[in-house]
Amino acid sequence: MPLPHPPEKLPPPDLSESHFSNPRSLLISMKTVKRFRALAAAVLAMATAGPAGVQAKDVSVPFDTYPEWPAEVTDTFRQMLVQEGGRVKPVHTYARFMLMQFSGRSKVTFESKDGQSHNAEAVAWLLDTLFRPQLSADLPIFVVDDSEAVSRIGVEPKEKRDRYSYNDLLPGRSKLAELTAEYARKKQQYDDSEKNPQYELDRIEGMVLVLGQNVSNFEYLMSQFGFARKGEALTHESVLPAELKELAKRLDMTEMLDKMPEMTVNQLVQAVQAPAAPDDDQAMLKSAMQLFFFHASSGRGFSIFPPPAKETEEWMSIGDVMLTGLEKKDMRPWAIERMNEVKALVEAGTKDGATFSAALKKFADDHHAEADGRGRGEGDRSEMEVKLYQGNYFTNSLAWFVLAFVLLAVSWLAPGSAFSKYLTWGVVGCLVIGLFYNVYGITLRCLIRHRPPITNLYDTVIFITGTGVLLALILERMTRIGVGLFVGTVAGVIGMFLSIKYEAKEATDTMGQLVAVLDTNFWLATHVTIINIGYAAGILSAILGAVYLVGRISGLRKGDRDFYRVLNRMNYGVICFCLFFSLVGTVLGGIWANYSWGRFWGWDPKENGALMICLWTLVILHGRMGGYLREIGINVNAVLLGVIVTFSWWGVNNLGVGLHSYGFTDGVWKWLLISWAICGAVMFCGLPLWLRERADRQEKQNAAPSGRKKPKPGGSAAQPA
Amino acid sequence: MSQLTAEDFQPKNLPRLLVGLFSSYWLAMVVLIFMTLITLFGTLYQVDHGLFAAKQKYFHSWFLLHYLRDGMPLPPSLEWIGTIPLPMPGGFLLMLLLTINLSIGAIIKVRKRKKGIGMLIAHFGMIFLLVSGFVTFAFNREGYMALYEGQTGSRVESYRTWQLEILPLNEAGEADKALTIPYHDLETIREGERREFKAADLPFDIVISDYTKNAVPVPVSAPISAQATGREVGGFKLLVQKPSKEAEQNLPAVIATFRPKSGAGESVETILSARSANFDPRDGAMAFGFEIDGKRFAARMVKENWPVPFAVRLDKFIFERHPGVSMARNYESRITRIESGAERPLEIKMNEPMRYAGFTFFQESFGPANAAPGDAMYSQFAVHNNPADQWPLYSLLITTAGLMIHFGMRLFDHTSRPRRDAAAAPAGEAAAA
Repeated sequence: MPLPHPPEKLPPPDLSESHFSNPRSLLISMKTVKRFRALAAAVLAMATAGPAGVQAKDVSVPFDTYPEWPAEVTDTFRQMLVQEGGRVKPVHTYARFMLMQFSGRSKVTFESKDGQSHNAEAVAWLLDTLFRPQLSADLPIFVVDDSEAVSRIGVEPKEKRDRYSYNDLLPGRSKLAELTAEYARKKQQYDDSEKNPQYELDRIEGMVLVLGQNVSNFEYLMSQFGFARKGEALTHESVLPAELKELAKRLDMTEMLDKMPEMTVNQLVQAVQAPAAPDDDQAMLKSAMQLFFFHASSGRGFSIFPPPAKETEEWMSIGDVMLTGLEKKDMRPWAIERMNEVKALVEAGTKDGATFSAALKKFADDHHAEADGRGRGEGDRSEMEVKLYQGNYFTNSLAWFVLAFVLLAVSWLAPGSAFSKYLTWGVVGCLVIGLFYNVYGITLRCLIRHRPPITNLYDTVIFITGTGVLLALILERMTRIGVGLFVGTVAGVIGMFLSIKYEAKEATDTMGQLVAVLDTNFWLATHVTIINIGYAAGILSAILGAVYLVGRISGLRKGDRDFYRVLNRMNYGVICFCLFFSLVGTVLGGIWANYSWGRFWGWDPKENGALMICLWTLVILHGRMGGYLREIGINVNAVLLGVIVTFSWWGVNNLGVGLHSYGFTDGVWKWLLISWAICGAVMFCGLPLWLRERADRQEKQNAAPSGRKKPKPGGSAAQPA
Repeated sequence: MSQLTAEDFQPKNLPRLLVGLFSSYWLAMVVLIFMTLITLFGTLYQVDHGLFAAKQKYFHSWFLLHYLRDGMPLPPSLEWIGTIPLPMPGGFLLMLLLTINLSIGAIIKVRKRKKGIGMLIAHFGMIFLLVSGFVTFAFNREGYMALYEGQTGSRVESYRTWQLEILPLNEAGEADKALTIPYHDLETIREGERREFKAADLPFDIVISDYTKNAVPVPVSAPISAQATGREVGGFKLLVQKPSKEAEQNLPAVIATFRPKSGAGESVETILSARSANFDPRDGAMAFGFEIDGKRFAARMVKENWPVPFAVRLDKFIFERHPGVSMARNYESRITRIESGAERPLEIKMNEPMRYAGFTFFQESFGPANAAPGDAMYSQFAVHNNPADQWPLYSLLITTAGLMIHFGMRLFDHTSRPRRDAAAAPAGEAAAA
């Protein structure tokens, strides 16, 4: 709801009297986390760091102390169910991604006036927003990558990249609403005009648009239970005339609903917009209706109430409940009961922690019983979902891969020693544990969704990483030259780092619903899984190629030709593996397309990307068989294969054209270009190696007795590399 | 596949040279590299020009000129590079060469060994895939059929080809037959050309001019007509629009003159536009009515259409969204297939088409786009008549079997080598001793 006038700044919350006990146990448990978790946290912090190395810091907030929520409150609340994005999920998931969307992180870090640092998890933040909105309005949750965006709305900027609280942004709220509407229109024109550059938003405009949408969503969250607060902390109070603010303190919405005539939402809107009433009673009634409409429309979006009719799938927010009660008299007792439950909960929130905890527990139990009673299986795997996110399996996986890398690097200090041998076993152990966490996390995701491992772009990242590490371990088992371990650690660290980064960037539920065409477990399990195994092999081949080229150019294991021969043979095997899975996956994709879209091949960008991988592996294998490519050539082209795989995996999704629209993403070109530049530099290493080999060969030929026939592979004028 | 030697280039060895060239690894590599390049360029080209244009230029062509600027933003200092034309082989030529190369090199000339059996099978599968691609390209006919619940249809409409239809009307204003000028004869009319069409059944000749790929007729009284070029006909002018990236969204228009054969009476001239077609399946296209030699006729632009050997009635269309969001969860059509009076109820869903009598009906989309909840909706089927419909599946099975045999043998060979080497070592040592 855009605000026409800048609202007055809310008075600072009076928190001198703490309403909730401070759970010291949480702090203690924080101190006893294992070492690898600290490492994971460090890496995670890196993953969520913004550009130019600007890191979120403890931001001072204008309240004396932050009363943390008791563990039983957060644990009860996180298990509650909410419907969002077409599915019923635990509040934990909802809060996590909502906060990520605003903040780019799943926690809020700040420092209260008493000097205490706080690291509130998303569920605690959501509790604050719903039950202590005045406090939440001071939490620094809105990340702004460039201070120019806040300057544009007339707010005093902090650092170049920083986080702002709602109250920080309030002075510019009206300008923000105005600019958000303007930029949203411009963006719509851009989409409608088939991407006419005239309408393209610049970087700052894009940031302002996102900020405006985030602030608006936050306001909706804050005002969810506004009707139960007796006129306190009305988020949209600036749109209310003074007499309505006064009325809000006195008028009980539940009692009002009980007395109102049955009317549709349209009739309510007409009544609210009707001209000034002739007498006081009429005027009062109109004001009451305005207030009712205000609370009902402010309370929409957070759908936690299962509808009473079992056949209805759409859950309701408290705003929907109010409007349903208004529209249907037979639903009114049910609606009033829900409103009373919320009132009781909000009331309990103003008392001590134990009271609130008990009230929330009752509310949650009723809520679960109601959902279970519908017999639709909604949220029946929510506990598993909470476990998935609380288990931090993918972060742990990253931590173990990092540890494996560190151990591997240390083992290089004393190559061949017993110490190095033990460390190598340590590396294997860390990789296996990291892989276990990865596979466990993926398995939980499959069980939660009842789907094969990959249904979206995020899934591909964790799956390809796991597959890459597994393949690397198998290679190491077969060759035992240490390269498999190195490649496995590199693939593991980069892949899991990317998954965390991507999740934070997208900030949307990674287990969302599927579009109709993807609603087939058979094709997801076959085509999608197989082609992603092909991607994993392509990436692995590129890393092996890079190891070969960089190793040789840097003189690593100089003179050990066997090492490089084995390495090359290993890469050849991986390329064959890549071809097999890419080819089978691509043709399976064609067959799926023939079932769903009516054609086997349509030159769609995603199809073309897969085809390019097949073609390039064929180029390498035929070049090798024809004698045009030898070791250096094969490895240079393997790195190029990696470029093609990343183009197919990420690049085509960024083009924004084609039938695979469900996989579209944006904002990855910069990272792709950087990775391709690195690949280009690595490939360039092949040139001096090739020149040196050619010179060596020439020298040998010159030294050989005359009359010996010159070797001539493939009829090519140039010598193969 | 074979390798070329200097001797092959002797004139007397020309046939051998050609066979050697067409079966060489060199050709295989060159073709594969160019295929990768045109696939990349064709993909990038789609961003600005759409899929249809990209297919025509890169994949359904023998040769092409590529400009680096297409789909690839260049910094201002390098924009000149983007204007340099790069001549390249097109998709047709490359796939033809690849088929020849595979057939000669990997099937005919290859040494038939036990070890090579897997590759032989895999290459055969690939040739079969290429052939199925050619058969699909040459013989597949694709279109769509859109039906509201209760409607029955037995004709398929083209997505993007329009034809001009002349309808002789009876006294009741109805037409028993239609004479058509096909799309190809319309789209090839050049600027300034007036193309004449004659029909023995009609008392007039038809002169078509001013063909425009995508245009809107606007009344000359409207301010926007200032932007329209060309002749004014009947108070209208054609406002030329930029061709859409999606070829099926282009709505062509022509100026048609109906000139009496008898010489008596005046010619009738009008603008005929695809925009007069009513896109709702419940209604036919609007037509321009006229009278010549006392007989009444109607003319209109309609999509090219053809019959299927059975009728389809839409009994129920089911459309479901995920709760609370606009994302479609499922759409399916309950239909009845009617043939020679016999009726058979069936379902067509996403990923579950109906295949019958050489035709395949896919659940494609639905409409109207602006339908409110509770409004009647139509279901649209993509209809294909492809003789090679299932061939890719067969080719996949063949290729997979071949690759599994080949790579399985290689892997076995690789993993058993150390054991063989170890077993051979004592014997070698003994021999050395």
